[in-house]
Amino acid sequence: MLSEELKQELRKMIADAESSREKAVDVMLDIQEHHLWMSDEAMEEAAELLGMSPLELDELATFYDFIYRSPVGKYVIHVCDSAMCWLEGHQRVMDHISTSFNVPIGGTSPDGLFTLLPVCCIGYCDRAPAMVINRRVYGKLTPEKIDRILGRLARDNEFHPPE
Amino acid sequence: MAQPLVLFKNRHPNRVATLDEYRQSGGYAALERFIGGKIDPGEVVRLIDESGLRGRGGAGFPAGKKWEAVPKNAPFPRYLVANADEMEPGTFKDRILLHTDPHCVIEGMILAGYAFSATKGFFFIRPSYDSSAAIMERELEIARQSGFLGKSILGSGYSFDIVVHRSGGRYICGEATALLNAIMGKRPNPIKPPPYPTEKGLWDRPTVVNNVETLACVPHILRNGPQWFKDLSLTSKGAGTKLFCVSGKVNSPGAEELPMGTPLREIIEKHFGGMLPGSEFKACLPGGASTRFLTSEHYDVPMDFDDLKAIGNRLGTAAIMIFDQKTCLVATTHNLMKFFARESCGWCTPCREGLPYMRELLWLIENGEGKEEYIDTLRSMCKQVWNSYCALAPGAAEPVASLLEFFEDEVREHIRLKGCPFNAKAGN
Amino acid sequence: MPRLVIDDLEIEVPKGTKVIDAAERLGIMIPRFCYHEALGAVGACRMCAVKFIEGPLKGVQMSCMIDAQDGMVVSTTDQEAVDFRKRVIEWLMINHPHDCPVCDEGGQCLLQDETVSSGHGRRRYPGRKRTYRNQYLGPFIAHEMNRCIHCYRCSRYYQEFSGYRDLGPLQIGNRVYFGRFKEGRLESPFSGNLVDICPTGVYTDIPARFKVRRWDLQRAPSVCINCPLGCNTIGNSHYRAVMRVEARMNPYVNGYFLCDEGRFGFSYTNGGADHAQRPWNSRISGADVTVEAALAESASKIAEISAIYGPGAVVALGSTRNSLETQSMLSRLCRRKGWQGPVWFNDPAIYRKVRSGVERLDSGIAVSMREIEFADFVIVAGADLLNEAPMAAMAIRQASRKNATIIVVDPRPISLPFEFRHIPAAPAQIERCLGSLVKGSISKDELKGFDSSAKGFCKALPAKFEEKESGISISELSGQLMSAKRPVIVCGTGIVCESTPAFAADCAQLLRESGKKAGLFYILPGASSFSSALLSGPETKTFSEILPQIEEGLIKALIATESDPFWDFPDRERLDRALSMLDLLVVIDYLPTETVKRATVFHPSSTVFEMNSTFVNQEGRVQHAERVHVGGVPIWGAHPPRIIRNFVPGGDHQPAWELLWKISAETSMLESVLTLGELIAAEIPVFEAVGHSKYPITEGRIIPENSEGSFVKPKASPAKGQTAKGFNLLLTDTIFASREPSAYADTLASVFPEATLFMHSGDANGAGLSEGDMVSVELELGAIQLKLSVSQRMARGFLFLPRQRGIHWQKMKEFSAWIAPERIRKI
Ligand SMILES: Cc1cc2nc3c(=O)[nH]c(=O)nc-3n(C[C@H](O)[C@H](O)[C@H](O)COP(=O)(O)O)c2cc1C
Ligand code: SF4
Ligand code: FES
Repeated sequence: MLSEELKQELRKMIADAESSREKAVDVMLDIQEHHLWMSDEAMEEAAELLGMSPLELDELATFYDFIYRSPVGKYVIHVCDSAMCWLEGHQRVMDHISTSFNVPIGGTSPDGLFTLLPVCCIGYCDRAPAMVINRRVYGKLTPEKIDRILGRLARDNEFHPPE
Repeated sequence: MAQPLVLFKNRHPNRVATLDEYRQSGGYAALERFIGGKIDPGEVVRLIDESGLRGRGGAGFPAGKKWEAVPKNAPFPRYLVANADEMEPGTFKDRILLHTDPHCVIEGMILAGYAFSATKGFFFIRPSYDSSAAIMERELEIARQSGFLGKSILGSGYSFDIVVHRSGGRYICGEATALLNAIMGKRPNPIKPPPYPTEKGLWDRPTVVNNVETLACVPHILRNGPQWFKDLSLTSKGAGTKLFCVSGKVNSPGAEELPMGTPLREIIEKHFGGMLPGSEFKACLPGGASTRFLTSEHYDVPMDFDDLKAIGNRLGTAAIMIFDQKTCLVATTHNLMKFFARESCGWCTPCREGLPYMRELLWLIENGEGKEEYIDTLRSMCKQVWNSYCALAPGAAEPVASLLEFFEDEVREHIRLKGCPFNAKAGN
Repeated sequence: MPRLVIDDLEIEVPKGTKVIDAAERLGIMIPRFCYHEALGAVGACRMCAVKFIEGPLKGVQMSCMIDAQDGMVVSTTDQEAVDFRKRVIEWLMINHPHDCPVCDEGGQCLLQDETVSSGHGRRRYPGRKRTYRNQYLGPFIAHEMNRCIHCYRCSRYYQEFSGYRDLGPLQIGNRVYFGRFKEGRLESPFSGNLVDICPTGVYTDIPARFKVRRWDLQRAPSVCINCPLGCNTIGNSHYRAVMRVEARMNPYVNGYFLCDEGRFGFSYTNGGADHAQRPWNSRISGADVTVEAALAESASKIAEISAIYGPGAVVALGSTRNSLETQSMLSRLCRRKGWQGPVWFNDPAIYRKVRSGVERLDSGIAVSMREIEFADFVIVAGADLLNEAPMAAMAIRQASRKNATIIVVDPRPISLPFEFRHIPAAPAQIERCLGSLVKGSISKDELKGFDSSAKGFCKALPAKFEEKESGISISELSGQLMSAKRPVIVCGTGIVCESTPAFAADCAQLLRESGKKAGLFYILPGASSFSSALLSGPETKTFSEILPQIEEGLIKALIATESDPFWDFPDRERLDRALSMLDLLVVIDYLPTETVKRATVFHPSSTVFEMNSTFVNQEGRVQHAERVHVGGVPIWGAHPPRIIRNFVPGGDHQPAWELLWKISAETSMLESVLTLGELIAAEIPVFEAVGHSKYPITEGRIIPENSEGSFVKPKASPAKGQTAKGFNLLLTDTIFASREPSAYADTLASVFPEATLFMHSGDANGAGLSEGDMVSVELELGAIQLKLSVSQRMARGFLFLPRQRGIHWQKMKEFSAWIAPERIRKI
């Protein structure tokens, strides 16, 4: 299922490492760039590249927040729910995204575009409330700003750099 | 007194300082002098030791002492890890630093590596700092091409290279030993010393883990001398400047570089725009989520390791989270505990089971289902989780313990009123 | 040696002893979950907290993590420590289900014990319990994750200790889940130890599940008799059925663990799930008779045949699953009665290898499994450990974890749960390889110091061994061996040449002379081959050599005592013909063997669980198995019994030695020989010599102090490589399915490996075959069909065929075969 081209790229990345396992997270993040999430099949193929058993890789995959072992949408919206963002209305952000963009909290929108998940402090407390979408961060969220960001993603269905 | 800018000297709004800018401000001079000039690595350690530089990652361990702990006859390769995990709630200084002047961190890493003859450096960074990771990767390549990094740096014969290691994202990965497991592709559970990572770290080789900010101080100390660094501090025991990141109920949250020991009041009122209109200072967490609530009684405390210790608190990461009179501290503490319970690695019982227990009790209190006896239970658990495997759970207990110490009335009021007196505050 | 005080008691312990162990020496059992002697300390559960009052440390600390040090004063009863431990239990119990009434761990549950002993008895936590979904882990182990207390013992055992990689911790925080990537049978053949190692009921033993409570079990120390290692077990029975087998700690043999064959391969003793697969009753010509009638029939028929044809027309067969008592009785009877035998083995080559191995073992060189764990260099010569003696692989794994170099010289596609260098040498090349490896490790100076025989041996060793295919440099390995201090040679007796066991002993001896603490460990076939070798002499025959006499009509009566030639004798047709020529076939057994089916008179004998018996393992260690229960047709399922009887159905069995004694009609015997111990000592003088003549015999080793190291000049090795086109087909063992009695256990039937023929991938390519093909192999007596497995890591020109139940390998005429290429076809 992984393309030969991608595998080749991953093999090269692994070969450069001190030990192959060291690249486990990078390999999974890279695969997610192409396939959005780590399916069982992808896990098995990645494990083989890394010289790990699928279980050993899953021990890591299920540990980390940013590795997805269930299907996610094209854009995974992590809304920070730790102290500062929570104080500044993380719940309102969640609710707004959920109702305005038809994304169930903890789930994926029917069109497969957005997945909405809470996440712990993303280090943008000075710009609370904040969220991270596909590893890019947006802060000082207001309903209007959210509409703009997600609206653009939904409209163009392609990625734009953060402000 | 003018702000002595050291780490933020090259701070530009919305722009990363270039290599040239960094060089113009004296960057890589220390590297040229010490590595290019083949000065004994022991001298580097001595100067850093003398400067009184203490770790900026939370524990405040003297940097020179840590490097010295690498045994002289230890095997090679040796590794240096820059800890840019920064997942302590409230903390974002390392991100700002990386977006300001990445070469300052790079030079610091190279010099630190030189100090104990490391051959490879890992720059460990969390996933939500992907843009910082990309900046680092770009600037590392520039440093490599300029001869500051890689094989035989400046022809000195000393080789050192740095790779960026992306984390999959978990708070515990910032803990030094869990971080080492994470790099090695193992489950990021901490490993209790002995042996210390400085003896057996990555792949059983000597490894030093330092915070990004700690490393960034190194070139400046070497260039200007230990006494200069000491003198930067406002307190006699302190040394250097400190990146303070302030969030919460102030007018201009963000990160600023200020002398070590700057009083809390001055930080808030002078450097971060003061409290929001209508807000009064009620309490703050002075050093990230795993420090204790600091009340207005200590509003004037000098923000330094020892002064905070003297009042029973910690400087931690110097991430100051400020709460006003309208904030329910029970709810806040519950939110913090939710974070810690979720981020527990699940290795040891007190943290894995105890934190969710405490979270549950706080939740019930906040929601009007609390009982008086929960206060005793929480109190005793705050003590008991100190017997956890690593420092996560003891840190998690700090806000709770201090809530019960300074705001017991507020807690009891919740129980008495069968609900939150602040009611429907702040989103939750 | 640090001296410390624990609960007012002073103790001195070796440096490096943990406080938790120091306390245990004083009889103070500090509660613990994650700590286990075999797994070491990791400090995860925080249950072992004690208070340090004086000394280098102060306050509540984990006793498993701290080395005992001089001047420590420790209290386990200090209030703060007690409160903390109670809290740990409370934490663990907030999510543990209250399902003790239906949990199989109940009554043997560490969590139960420690919850009770901590005094935590009231649930205060107001939240909900966490729940998990369980996984199917195969036919042996049930999974009940809700009961998990996250001590990490299972994953540490499974991955670190035993070296398998398909079970481990998933998720994070209080959702950590111990399981597999996907549901499915656990890959480890040591998976059963999860049941013992888990302190609560996450992993329970499926065959025993929901059947009986621990306190209702009859329990006794027993010994596993499936392979030669003799791992120590505990037999557990209830209502006349053995319900489960657990590991019994023996620091020299199996440590805390067992393999799955030993643990789950017991149901033969119950006659399988329907109890019908065991021959419970005495029979004459296939009809049930009383015990007495059968004994009288055997006795009189034997006497009659002896009288007419002479006692030499009677031959006694024993086997390597006989107890020492039975073997001694057989030996005595043959001698006294003039019968031929006892015959222990079918294959003369195997027999000679076993004898030469046993002869060469002395206490100077023999190592136990425990000692293997501390070896720094292990050479396995001609042994497929995972299949032939699984726990020995576990012992080597422990050495490997301590960074020992492991080399396996074996033509088969060996797999082991640790890293090793495999040299797939043909059997005839093993000595050459071993010899050059050892020779290269001897320095010139060392050589000078040797006496002439050692020098002669060393000089005659081949200097070079070319291993092209594996790309392994023997000289580099020799260099490593040179700096090793405690090398061990593990030598098989199956596929190796006849001279190899003695050669391996010489090599070990030479390493010893060069100043190393070298050791030797043989893998023999069967549980009692060691004692059978002790009971034989140069004249002792094997069944192959006896068979012509039957065919010629010289032998008229055969007494097969727990011996089934059909199990491992080739040419089934010939065997059938020969046995039908006998006047009398007396069979004593507890298994439903092919020979039992053909018996003229059949006597049921007791299994190891039903009698007191003695076994000597392959390193000469005498061990006892106590009677676990009386035995008989199990009554669970039909519980409680409603029919009142004055006898035990299926209770006719007797120890084989007793049956033999009775049918021999040698009434004088117990007059002159008083005890079983004396019987054994009379047959095997070495027992007398070490004072083991009392019964039960003192446990210990019976190998001689020092058998003069006699170096045998190595033969010039045969030329390498086959000239004729074709394949040498050899029989090998496979775990679960190759050994009596476990292969008769229906509990194992579902895990029998698929019938597979192994072939080198290069050879397969040449023959147009590939991995997974179904092939037909034409043997002398017909074709067999099975799956082909190809490997690069094996010797070329060989085929390996597992001698397992369900493969009709007896279509071979000899113990090995030459297969022309056209006789293997893809189907
Ligand atoms: C749970 C936990 C999380 C931590 N997270 C971080 C982190 O994100 N960044 C960091 O620099 N140090 C973190 N630390 C502290 C590190 O363990 C370590 O002390 C530090 O990286 C050492 O660098 P320093 O001596 O330069 O401060 C954490 C510690 C704990 C116990
Ligand atoms: S305190 Fe224990 S469970 Fe918590 S993070 Fe540390 S080791 Fe893991
Ligand atoms: S036994 Fe010591 S922490 Fe588990």
